[in-house]
Amino acid sequence: MHITSFVAPLAANNVEPGLMADACLAGLAHTIEQAAHLLPEQGPIKVFIHHNPLHAFEEIQFDRAVQHHAQRIFGCQPYLALERYRTLLARGRIELADVQTALREDLGLLADEMVLDLGTRYAIRLAMLQYPMPYAPLAELRWHMAEMDALRRFRADAPAEVRNRMLEETRRWVLRDLLSQRNGNSLADNAALRQAAVGLARSTDPRPPDEWPEASWEAFVLHLLWRICRRGVEAAGLGAPAAPVPVRHRDLLLAASGEDSDRLVHSVLVPFCAAYLDQGQAAWPLPGRERGFWRSFCALHRQALGPPDRWRRGLAAELERLQRADVTPLQSIRESLNLLGVPEAEWPEFIGATLLALRGWAGMLRQVEARADSVAHPVPAGGVQGYLAVRLILERFALQYLARQALRYDGPLDRLRSWLRRRVMQEDPGAAQAQAALCVFHLAQLLGWLPQRLARLEAVEWATLVAELEAFSPLRQRQIMHRAFERGYYTQVLDALAFRATLPTSETSPPWQLVCCIDEREESFRRHVEELCPAAETYGTAGFFAVPMYYRGAADAHYVPLCPIVIKPQHWVAEEVVYPLEAADRRRRRVRRTLGRLAGRVHHGSRTFTMGALLAVGLGLLASLPLVARVLFPRLTGRLRRLVGRLVQPPPLTQLHLERVCEPPAQREGHLGFTVPEMAAAVERMLRDIGMTQRFSPLVIVLGHGSTSLNNPHKSAYDCGACGGGRGGPNARAWARMANDPRVRALLARRGLSLPEHTRFVGGYHDTCNDAVLFFDLEHLPPSHKAIFSQAREVLDKARQRNAHERCRRFESAALNLTADAALRHVESRADDLSQVRPECGHATNALCIVGRRGRTRGLFLDRRAFLASYDPTQDDERGTILARILQAVVPVCTGINLEYYFSLTDPTGWGCGTKLPHNVTSLLGVMDGAASDLRPGLPWQMLEIHEPVRLLFVVETTPRTMLGILDQHPAIGRVFHKAWAFLALLSPTGGELQIFVEGRFQRYQASTARLATASSSLSWYRGWRDHLAPALIDPTRHGPVGR
Amino acid sequence: MNLDALARPLALTIVSAPACLVLLLGGACLVERPLSERAASRAAGLANGVGLMATLALTVLLLGQGRGRLAVDVGQWVALAEYQFHVKLLADRLSLAMAALSFLLCGVVGAFAARYLHREPGYQRFFVLYAVFMLGMAVTSLAGTIETLFAGWELVGLSSALLVAFFHERPAPVYNGLRVWVVYRLADAALLTAAVVLHHVRGHGDFEVLLGSAAWPSGRTLLAAPHCLTVGLLLVGTAAGKSALVPFSGWLPRAMEGPTPSSAVFYGALSVHLGAFLLLRFAPLLERAPLVCWLVVALGLITAGFAALAARVQADIKSALAFGSLTQVGLIVAEIGLGLRWLALAHLIGHACLRTLQFVRAPNLIHDYHTLENAVGEHPDHLGRSSPAPGPVRLWWYRFALERGYLDSLLTDYVARPVLSVLRFCDRMEHAWTNFLAGSRSLPSDRLLPPPLHMDQPS
Repeated sequence: MHITSFVAPLAANNVEPGLMADACLAGLAHTIEQAAHLLPEQGPIKVFIHHNPLHAFEEIQFDRAVQHHAQRIFGCQPYLALERYRTLLARGRIELADVQTALREDLGLLADEMVLDLGTRYAIRLAMLQYPMPYAPLAELRWHMAEMDALRRFRADAPAEVRNRMLEETRRWVLRDLLSQRNGNSLADNAALRQAAVGLARSTDPRPPDEWPEASWEAFVLHLLWRICRRGVEAAGLGAPAAPVPVRHRDLLLAASGEDSDRLVHSVLVPFCAAYLDQGQAAWPLPGRERGFWRSFCALHRQALGPPDRWRRGLAAELERLQRADVTPLQSIRESLNLLGVPEAEWPEFIGATLLALRGWAGMLRQVEARADSVAHPVPAGGVQGYLAVRLILERFALQYLARQALRYDGPLDRLRSWLRRRVMQEDPGAAQAQAALCVFHLAQLLGWLPQRLARLEAVEWATLVAELEAFSPLRQRQIMHRAFERGYYTQVLDALAFRATLPTSETSPPWQLVCCIDEREESFRRHVEELCPAAETYGTAGFFAVPMYYRGAADAHYVPLCPIVIKPQHWVAEEVVYPLEAADRRRRRVRRTLGRLAGRVHHGSRTFTMGALLAVGLGLLASLPLVARVLFPRLTGRLRRLVGRLVQPPPLTQLHLERVCEPPAQREGHLGFTVPEMAAAVERMLRDIGMTQRFSPLVIVLGHGSTSLNNPHKSAYDCGACGGGRGGPNARAWARMANDPRVRALLARRGLSLPEHTRFVGGYHDTCNDAVLFFDLEHLPPSHKAIFSQAREVLDKARQRNAHERCRRFESAALNLTADAALRHVESRADDLSQVRPECGHATNALCIVGRRGRTRGLFLDRRAFLASYDPTQDDERGTILARILQAVVPVCTGINLEYYFSLTDPTGWGCGTKLPHNVTSLLGVMDGAASDLRPGLPWQMLEIHEPVRLLFVVETTPRTMLGILDQHPAIGRVFHKAWAFLALLSPTGGELQIFVEGRFQRYQASTARLATASSSLSWYRGWRDHLAPALIDPTRHGPVGR
Repeated sequence: MNLDALARPLALTIVSAPACLVLLLGGACLVERPLSERAASRAAGLANGVGLMATLALTVLLLGQGRGRLAVDVGQWVALAEYQFHVKLLADRLSLAMAALSFLLCGVVGAFAARYLHREPGYQRFFVLYAVFMLGMAVTSLAGTIETLFAGWELVGLSSALLVAFFHERPAPVYNGLRVWVVYRLADAALLTAAVVLHHVRGHGDFEVLLGSAAWPSGRTLLAAPHCLTVGLLLVGTAAGKSALVPFSGWLPRAMEGPTPSSAVFYGALSVHLGAFLLLRFAPLLERAPLVCWLVVALGLITAGFAALAARVQADIKSALAFGSLTQVGLIVAEIGLGLRWLALAHLIGHACLRTLQFVRAPNLIHDYHTLENAVGEHPDHLGRSSPAPGPVRLWWYRFALERGYLDSLLTDYVARPVLSVLRFCDRMEHAWTNFLAGSRSLPSDRLLPPPLHMDQPS
């Protein structure tokens, strides 16, 4: 149904079945290919690329995509749960005013329409948002009414005046009209109601109503109200909602019998997929894996004397038959579909759902095929078809067996589904009616709808009321709450930016400059540098520094790409030990190789018979030493390990093989590196991007970043996103080397970009986990620059302490009153700790991306939530050529990160990979939960805890005209904002005006306040706080925080 | 200095330290005042440290006195005319070594888990089960009578199964936890029967009397050979279930559902060795029944061979380690059968330490491979070789290993199913009878229907 829209072109292509078998098979192949696009795109976990899990639906509006597709196709949550939003509302993370605005925006002109005469639509919906409504399955609703005090007391959160008025009015009505013998009143005409009320009054309290205490009245009112609601809803004649009909036999069987056929199927498929894709974990590879999924499976499972499982009886014979007849996977799939009784019209949906049943493995199958160049053991193409064919055959056997065992179904398999549907899908309006009645019952208590008023409603009116309430489903409520949640944050930030824009920006000649990655984790680092050294300037640019390359370190075995995933590097760069130390390097390399071989032997051998026994008896007890040391004293042991490791690591003096002499660039001696013009292009590209073309200081430090941690399969997810999940140090080093080259500078000068002779660039690396900062090639630093470098280094040293301290406020295991020094030690021990599942917070809390001059945002405390890309609109042309190329890198990388976090958090077990604790590294490709499960893509819960799922807000310093032009010319960027996968606002390059992008147009942003909290330092703003912090202006001339 | 005056409190401390921890953590949870994470892990560390210190002190004391054994009588559990159920602790080379090992590994893993499980909703539950496990290990190690041993054995089994099912919101852990539990119950039943037989024969289950007066590893049982055979067979069954020997091996990889630290210490290191420990404890008894000894050797070697084969093809690290563990456990068991008790004990201790280290480092696998790759200069799996068997056999062999020797299906389809069928048949008969007596459907559950299908759950 929903997937069909996705593969719509196919339906038109369908030719008559049987007439042209080949065309039919081609159509089937196409259907499978289309359905396979729904599979997760995450590749081997060694290189973690953040991407939008809903990549297949980026053409569709965000809300539509998440509500219609995410939930129905993937079965995952589109937003947080309503209770979570209400908790946020109670905690003040969501403001009621934002909820009201979001609701008004959503309703537009319909907001003030009256629903019957009970209230405006807006008021009703607001009440539904503000107060929890009991949405639950029927059994729970029944329990709720029977066991809770729902019929004895008003809701605790019902406004007191509403409650009092209802009690008062009802008492009057009952005493005056209903129970007195007077007739002729329109209310009392209703004989049934009257009778019910009399009966109710008797059962509530046997005394005459005049003598009732308040409690009796309360119970009476509620009972009466409930009875009226139920009768009204029944009178409205509500049909059962059209529950979606599951397309897979398995879902129906599970509902009918509690038996899960997937458990059987997966018990075969999971180990086989793991063995088939294995990248070197198992000692023995799967025999025949080079022949592809289908053939190797058939070869393995068609042998005689196989497993005695009853459900698989006959499988070997079936596979033997298929192999003898040389049946292709496609033919087999078609056969299985026919045998399962799936009509051709349902193929797309059925195949999509079937593939998604084990989405992690199926997705990885595709990814390993697609990335044959970057995996150690590639597999032949066509795996998804083979996988599907195998899966359907196994499903046939499992279904047949379980249906017979559990339900005594002996009929043909192609009838099973309709048989199950008849059995399972009972039309039961009871649940929907109880739900609707309960909603009215609760709203009445909140909004003061009197029982007598409701009793007067006609059946048609009840139908209107119920339809009104159903239209505002929990899903829609979550959408509004989510919008309010985002709105709250955006308002804070835009107000802060608007305020900051009114302050002057000073342009001085800085003593030194710092270039970091745009990563939001560097926001705090840069802020601290600026606080410590107000004269220094900082810049942000995508952390591969315009040097896309394959890189091999001095101790590495292979080249790895260091650049955004969308770029395929054309150059190879290797790190080499300097010539005088080469002999030492060779010696150490030999030692490493010997030790490595030994370690490999031990690793594998410990699981074997003889070697394992020798190791256990001989060395086993010694293993307790590292065990105790590493667990109890992680930081000390880490230091010791590094100290020892230094003896075998390459000598510390290395250089990059950066300059190429022969064409073309290639991965071999003489073809490594860049030519001088290529270097000049890279240097120019980055300098122009960040707008660093004048006012060069004597020293410019360029810092790439990465992250160190242990026992962490998701390690790469913490590294630099702009380096494709690698570490950006080598890029910074390479760029600095290039920029220092006088020939490059000469070329640049010819292009109108002259670098002063006294300016030196130094590359470095910032570890975002232990906050270490390393510098490269310092031996080339001229003596004239030593003083300024020492000065800068001192600032950076202090800054990393302060940065560690600011980060520590987010770690519950770090005390809030740590000193800066202790904080640094704390983050260092996190990086060395085997038992630490939260080495750092990664990209958690990211919510904002600012593309513009740092001068416009400097001094703002953005709480490590903002990607900061430097861009100077005054140096760009009308069409925004530079801006467009910045956005082309920044938008996909940042939204990829943001949406990965968004979805992993909204459904930690659906989109995310659940908790790290039971993770089990499999095939060196990814993680499973526990002993055997689907491969789990996405982010673990431990990375997400403090994240707030807010779509990214881009604030770009440019004019609406330029931006609209870019959105038009670059559909990939335009789509993101048009379809609301991220939001966009503009900061005027000349004034303080902000514009926000709403439905394809820019509107002027009206700041909601003209004030901004101020603090004298970041520390005084965040000290003592664990939670998110609002933006503030850090102004060293002020004392203490104001207005937190 | 009176040895016993000092030894008694020490031995009691070894057992009561974890017992206090159970009371503290469990009690706090029961009254819904759970301790803070920090307090809970500190308490666990303290109990562990005290237990370990007491064990070491007792060891030093025994060594200093040159005595091989010391029994501490805690009291009678039940005393009838002909039967006595004695709670008695026995400190000898075997029990002290096992207790020290348990405390050491539990301590390290406790410290590991304190950080690893930080902010996990089941943090308290984990540490309560951890405490129960530690108590079970201490009691089992130091047990001086078979009934005391059984009590500790049960605690270990219960906590292990519940830890496998730790993530009970997903079906797989619960399913696998249940599976572990069922196998454990079978083993427990065998142990209980053995205890009953011993009591029946001798009227008590005191090891000092049953297994001779000499300290471990020497000792001669006074039981008659046929009794030794019966009890021996029952004990082998018990050990096979607990140590995942063939044909029960299937549960071991399935036990890897809990958090990494619990997998490490329970199934990698301690729990899985308990069967071997039991056989070591009863070694003097086994000695009298050569048939049992040969059975133990055969079972051990078959298990080791099978597990070594299976370990070679597992593509996930935890299963590979589980089978690696099982290989060594099989060997240890075989050594016991051959009468190499000291070797077996050394093997057991060394293996437990090595495997715990490997398990807690398991998530580091990808990083380790990367390091190895860089050091060696090529993909490290080139170190491994494919199976040496010729073509068709290799394929069959591979599949046999990949599907873990079909042991699970054999047990499920050919042992569990027939038993279930019999039980269901009995149930149907009873049902028919009660319906007949009641004249209608007699059970409320008859009227239950499957719940209606809810595809999109409300938030």
